[in-house]
Amino acid sequence: MSATSVRWGLAARLARRELRGGLRGFWIFLGCLVLGVAAIATVNSLASGVQSSLRDDGRAILGGDVSLRLVFIQADEAQRATLESLGDVSEIVEARAMARTIDGEDSSLVELKAVDDVYPLYGEMDLAPPLPIDEALGQIDGVWGAVADETILTRHDLSVGDRLRIGEIEIDVRAVIEEEPDRAAAGAFVLGPRLMVSRGAIEAAGLLQPGSLVYWNYRLRLPQDLPAEDAIAAIRAAHPEAGWSITDFSDAAPQLQTMIDRLALFLTLVGLTALLVGGVGIGNAVKAFVDTRIATIATLKCLGAEGRLIFRIYFIQILILAGLGIIIGLIVGAVVPVLVGDLVSELLPISVSIGIYPSALLLAAGFGVLTTLAFSIWPIAKARDIPAASLFRNLIVPTTGWPRLPYVLATVVTTVALAALAIGTADRPDFAAWFVAGAVVVVLAFRLVAIAIVAIVRVLPRSRRMGVRLATSNLTRAGAPTANLVLSLGLGLTVLVAISLIEGNMSRQVQDQIPDQAPSFFFVDIQPDQREPFEAAAYEQGASQVVEVPSLRGRIVAANGVPAAEALQDPEESWLIEGDRGVSYATEPSDRYTIIDGEWWAPDYAGPPLISVYRDIANAFGLGVGDTLTINVLGRDIEAEVANVRDIDWSTINVNFTMVLSPEPLVNAPHTLIATVRIPPDQETGLQRAIGEAFPNVTAVRVADALDTVNEVLLQIGTAVRAVAAVTLIAGTLVLGGAIAAGHRRRVYDAVVLKVLGATRGNVIRAFLVEYGLLGLVAALIATAVGTIAAWAVLTEVMNVDEWIFLPLSLTATALIALGITLALGLAGTWLALRRKAAPLLRNE
Amino acid sequence: MAGPVNILRGINLTIGGGEVVSIVGPSGSGKSSMMMVIGGLERATSGTVSVYGQELTGLSEDALALFRRDQVGIVFQNFHLVPTMSALENVAIPLELAGRADAFDKAREGLEAVGLGHRLTHYPGQLSGGEQQRCALARAFAAEPMLVLADEPTGNLDGSTGHQIIDLMFDLSRRRGATLMLITHDRELAARCDRIVRLEDGMIVDAGEPAEQAAE
Repeated sequence: MSATSVRWGLAARLARRELRGGLRGFWIFLGCLVLGVAAIATVNSLASGVQSSLRDDGRAILGGDVSLRLVFIQADEAQRATLESLGDVSEIVEARAMARTIDGEDSSLVELKAVDDVYPLYGEMDLAPPLPIDEALGQIDGVWGAVADETILTRHDLSVGDRLRIGEIEIDVRAVIEEEPDRAAAGAFVLGPRLMVSRGAIEAAGLLQPGSLVYWNYRLRLPQDLPAEDAIAAIRAAHPEAGWSITDFSDAAPQLQTMIDRLALFLTLVGLTALLVGGVGIGNAVKAFVDTRIATIATLKCLGAEGRLIFRIYFIQILILAGLGIIIGLIVGAVVPVLVGDLVSELLPISVSIGIYPSALLLAAGFGVLTTLAFSIWPIAKARDIPAASLFRNLIVPTTGWPRLPYVLATVVTTVALAALAIGTADRPDFAAWFVAGAVVVVLAFRLVAIAIVAIVRVLPRSRRMGVRLATSNLTRAGAPTANLVLSLGLGLTVLVAISLIEGNMSRQVQDQIPDQAPSFFFVDIQPDQREPFEAAAYEQGASQVVEVPSLRGRIVAANGVPAAEALQDPEESWLIEGDRGVSYATEPSDRYTIIDGEWWAPDYAGPPLISVYRDIANAFGLGVGDTLTINVLGRDIEAEVANVRDIDWSTINVNFTMVLSPEPLVNAPHTLIATVRIPPDQETGLQRAIGEAFPNVTAVRVADALDTVNEVLLQIGTAVRAVAAVTLIAGTLVLGGAIAAGHRRRVYDAVVLKVLGATRGNVIRAFLVEYGLLGLVAALIATAVGTIAAWAVLTEVMNVDEWIFLPLSLTATALIALGITLALGLAGTWLALRRKAAPLLRNE
Repeated sequence: MAGPVNILRGINLTIGGGEVVSIVGPSGSGKSSMMMVIGGLERATSGTVSVYGQELTGLSEDALALFRRDQVGIVFQNFHLVPTMSALENVAIPLELAGRADAFDKAREGLEAVGLGHRLTHYPGQLSGGEQQRCALARAFAAEPMLVLADEPTGNLDGSTGHQIIDLMFDLSRRRGATLMLITHDRELAARCDRIVRLEDGMIVDAGEPAEQAAE
């Protein structure tokens, strides 16, 4: 055995004996570590569960090995034949429609899905009562069946067996949908609950009018020996002009995948903040622990222990305790997903595979270990320099200054490794890197401010009031925890301030700002020949304004003759070419458009196609006036010359099109109109009923309902964010409590001496109130400033919110929380200190 | 800022091997500082300190630790036993530090020699003051050091317990042939030593007589 291993062995033996002292003084340490590790493990386990479901159940989620989607137009016979030559084909139609009660009194928007008799190719429909799907949707006594989300029945106060109207027919709701395997594939933005019928029913209802916004989906079940890529290649080769968007099962729900990845990253970073705050607590706890062991350390040194051995003894102890904290954190992080898994599955369109994900737990453990090392090497390294001679003087003074160079380097290396882990494992490394840089700046800012406070208070003239004098000298004395208190409370608060501002801004955007300018309704799928009667009906019901705009869907195919994928200059904008976008035509520009470059065409223009493009599209393809953009509309490629580039004010809820063509190429194509209608709120129901009766093919979207849907999503995300942010604040409070407790012995002594000298309890309490009040106030002020900057950066730079609202109320509330917590904890400590009897302390000091 | 203070000035003292020396003087006269310099616990800013031929002045912090481990035993007024370790483990520490395989056997013998053979597994908190100091004595002598330093070893003990401890300490150091230096305010105890060194204001005002000279 080598000498080194012998020394490690001795260190381990001595460490084990030291640990007999129990966990006293380590509850905060363990609390911080458990909280941080558990938060990260929970978030990542849940995210892994979602990802694993997407991966393992990709075929069921997509509804096939390959899925193809067409807008407006059904696949023609040749296309259909190609698909059938490759495997089994299922054709599914999706559209938005109105479900109306039989008496016509009430109607609501539903996401209608019409399936054929081979649906679903993969996975199972789960219905209550458990009927086979074809039985539930078939025609019985001339009435088509349907299955619906529970929400539809609740909304109209119906039960299974009752009837509803869609389009021109009545349907019999025969079961409630418990689970629909391919729901996530529909996309992220769902405006209403699901109503599922058969293909026969949707045709009978008259909802498949030319130009209606209908999605035609083709799902393929391929033979085992035919890879999805090969099938896709064959389809593309056979029908290059079809204009369908094709997805395979390995990327079944890309929007959901992206959303989960982003949310997981965001929550991991918030969890990491909790761990960072906890790290401060870990550092404080280690320092406090080492301070209680000064006599032991000096004794060991007197007996001949070298500094290195001292470091090892305490390093091993901290590692053992950290291991304990991390294991508890991992257990919590593995159990919580099981408890909340059903809840998460309900919120998402897929069922989450809850389980133990070693990679998620390993990541959380990695963060835990590195945080422990980054924050505890420093205080332990300082302990190794405690002079043996302190025993002779009864002068138990904590060491000041920096530890030796190797330990400083070790701290730097572990900190860098922590940052690298955060960045390296992130779905968006750039975002994580900003977070890390921000965290470093914030920590440094708090340190600097704490140093500045101490320096300023020191040079201020001494107050004549004893309480204030005592408070200020407590803040500035050597070894005062001022910096740690400000940092630990400040970090937690910064997160809270930032999150409350971001959330406040988001809900303000949705609730306060928009409805003032927004219309009451959108009506979609109005046939061109319904335009005039629709307008008349709307005004008759009390509408103050009706605006109709032609609406088509088109896919960008090429720019200046170069295929879109190659022409795209900014990969961040690839969403532009991934699916179809709204296209309209107009004779005159809308007053909501600001033309940046070029000019609008003449009202009677009838020459070759011209197009007006939104700024972002022009930038993404590097287009200017005179260039060409090719759009596939209804299977036809239209090459249009860019007449102008314009900006759109998105903050108004209105029908805005990124691509507007001159009328000529589209005016005779089958299409529908979208109408926006303004009407006083008390007349909304009447309008919806009248339009529903007169135009059963027209779908009404009530803006207030749509906003509720958006709000609900925001609320759900907000709940997740708040839960993790709360962990940060709990960690901050723990750390603060720990830091205050660490100064407790000194406080007891101060209180006792003051009392002996004739100070009343009131004097002492006032002195400590001033001290903690100052600390809380300072932490709150900096946290408010830093948190506001962070929120502003996230909102304007990441979320692209144009209008930023400062919310003084949220900030004041947060600042008050800070003051409250500091004063409560400080006062609790002081109260305990005041209850101590003077005599025993004085006798021995 | 206050400038550096010279605690010890112009000290010139030679102590023979096996001598029992008491250091006396008023508070703040530099007794503890001198003992710390001799024990390698603090470094003199100038001059030389040599113990059993080993020059301490140039040694590093860790080299001084090794020097203490091999050559020095220390007894404190406040005992300074490690509270989380049993009596046996406390006594074994210096032997373990020296890498001795028989650390616990030796520690047991040491405790038996100070009459604590029945208290091996007790923790400091479970021992009386006198027992704790006996345990500390066993620890100081465990590694058979050539120099034992004691800082007011009876300061926290009642009279009769203090006497027992001193008897035990004198006995142990004589039997092992170790040099014993003790700081005390107790004149009677000082008088029992071979030699009394008196400090005042950082200077030796009376170095006493070396034992051999006194005997002559």
